[in-house]
Amino acid sequence: MHEETKNGHGGSSVDKRMSLKDAVSRFIIDGDALYYGGFQTMVPMAITHEMIRQRKKDLSVFCTTTDVGGLDLLVSAGCVREMHLAWSMNWFARGSHGIRRAFQQEALKRYDLSNFAATSALMAGFFGIPFMAVRGNIGTDLVKYNQQDLRVIDDPFTGEKITLVRSWRADVGIIHAQRADPAGNIVSWGTRSSPDEFGAMGSKRGVIVTVEEIVAPEVVRSDPDRTLIPFYKTLAVVHCPWGAHPSACMGYYGQDIRFCEYQGEYQRNERLLHHFFEKWVDGCPDHEAYLQKYVQQFGTESLERLKPKRGFRPVLDVHYTYHDPAVWLDIPPFADEYIGGQE
Amino acid sequence: MANHYRSTEQMVIRCAKEIIDGEVVFAGVGLPLLVVCFAMRTHARRITLLTEGGSVRGTAPAGLAITVDDPVLFASGDATFGMTGAMAALQRGEVDLTFISGAQIDRFGNINSTGVGNWEKPKTFTYFAGSGGANDMATSGKRGLVIIPQDPKKFVERVDYLTSPGFMGGAGHRESMGMLGGGPAVVVSTMGVYRFDAGSREMYLAEYFSGQSVEKVRSFCSFDLSVSRHVKETESPTEEELTLLRELDPKGFYLS
Repeated sequence: MHEETKNGHGGSSVDKRMSLKDAVSRFIIDGDALYYGGFQTMVPMAITHEMIRQRKKDLSVFCTTTDVGGLDLLVSAGCVREMHLAWSMNWFARGSHGIRRAFQQEALKRYDLSNFAATSALMAGFFGIPFMAVRGNIGTDLVKYNQQDLRVIDDPFTGEKITLVRSWRADVGIIHAQRADPAGNIVSWGTRSSPDEFGAMGSKRGVIVTVEEIVAPEVVRSDPDRTLIPFYKTLAVVHCPWGAHPSACMGYYGQDIRFCEYQGEYQRNERLLHHFFEKWVDGCPDHEAYLQKYVQQFGTESLERLKPKRGFRPVLDVHYTYHDPAVWLDIPPFADEYIGGQE
Repeated sequence: MANHYRSTEQMVIRCAKEIIDGEVVFAGVGLPLLVVCFAMRTHARRITLLTEGGSVRGTAPAGLAITVDDPVLFASGDATFGMTGAMAALQRGEVDLTFISGAQIDRFGNINSTGVGNWEKPKTFTYFAGSGGANDMATSGKRGLVIIPQDPKKFVERVDYLTSPGFMGGAGHRESMGMLGGGPAVVVSTMGVYRFDAGSREMYLAEYFSGQSVEKVRSFCSFDLSVSRHVKETESPTEEELTLLRELDPKGFYLS
């Protein structure tokens, strides 16, 4: 462990790698507001399972849109008090059954808005400003029932009506990505759909990330355009292959549709759901155990099937270059009859 | 002309014809994705397709997209903008056609995709999914296309939850709210095609599918449906159209 600097940041040489268990127990506190990353790809499923294992409670969640049913499991496990989002679903279970039940039982407060309002709320958090103007939502029940996030005002410049969405700043962001270095430079490509860069950067304490692979800092710095979140914003880096399963991770695996359906059947049937938790969450000490159980039950071929077969690698040859080295090479300044030249 | 086809197949094929080649199209989750994939292989090869997942593409995806976040939409796409970048095109007024589905629609084209029941009494309210990007599309797209299976529970007098604006309460209402887009233009169901009166902004039946009748469509609609004086029967899909559609969705993911 490196010595910390006065402001608490250890710079880019601090090793933030740790176990999933440690990351969740050290950095997620009961009552926290979370940014929940991903959409149908890059859903932080392994972190979700660990939060359930640790019985985190009274969480509030900021999210744009979420598929695959991770957030739905978190709600069914009693971890979530309120959620602000545009859409929740397990598409292959044709519903978000746990969230539906929790709302009906008044165990969950749900604040709805549109996708673009949600991304704008996260953008406002990213910008560090209190709200953002958006075109949608006005005139609908979204504004009527979600005054916590949405207000309609008269535009002070034109006098026309416009909707404002308040800034969302979570305490902690939880996301999954392809790669990171030990200090927490998080590398991602192929789109994640939801604006995880805004959600994570806008989080007050920082972000917990699970990644498919850990790479050396030199690898990240060889192509810094791919860094989604720079190291200083990262709290914990967890090496966790298949950490987004059953959602997709571009370049590593596609969505596991059969598992989404299987999990969805448990989510649909409240009386069966505890079996899912016992078997796949509490019955697994960590994500590796979850994967072992998966292979035992469904075979290695079910995971192999999800690996990319029809993908491709970019052919665009990228090269990072420097400015004119004139100064260091003693090239004399340009001159003509009006500008510069020898006095 | 083909004799054996499902009403969902006719709905998809008829709906695709509403997409004009060259348009910037923003498609939502579900049936719209199938329709767009079909249109990009038939008459509308030069549309620009945007989705909430953030893909921007001018070529047909290699396979059938199951959701707006499907990697097949991003592979060999022109840009992977993410949700924020792609959806900003709506607010800039760049989107010619938005394309959504929903759980309920009323005579003014207002759509509910949030849930049924009384939201203020949670015990009575059954959540579906929520707005997603549907509200943004319905507010800001120049022209709205809606696809929704015909069912009296879906074509209702009043939507339980107004998620995405149609013409709200009628003529002039959208304008008074400063909405950027022109509102819904066409609704295609499993029984017919609807348009909106330029004055009253009420939905009317413009076409009924082969095998249906005006009276039968009316009986599958919970509000008192207006019917065009020029109402006509929709042409049946051709064998070529059906073959292509079935190749696109061979296992009936959408069509069954």
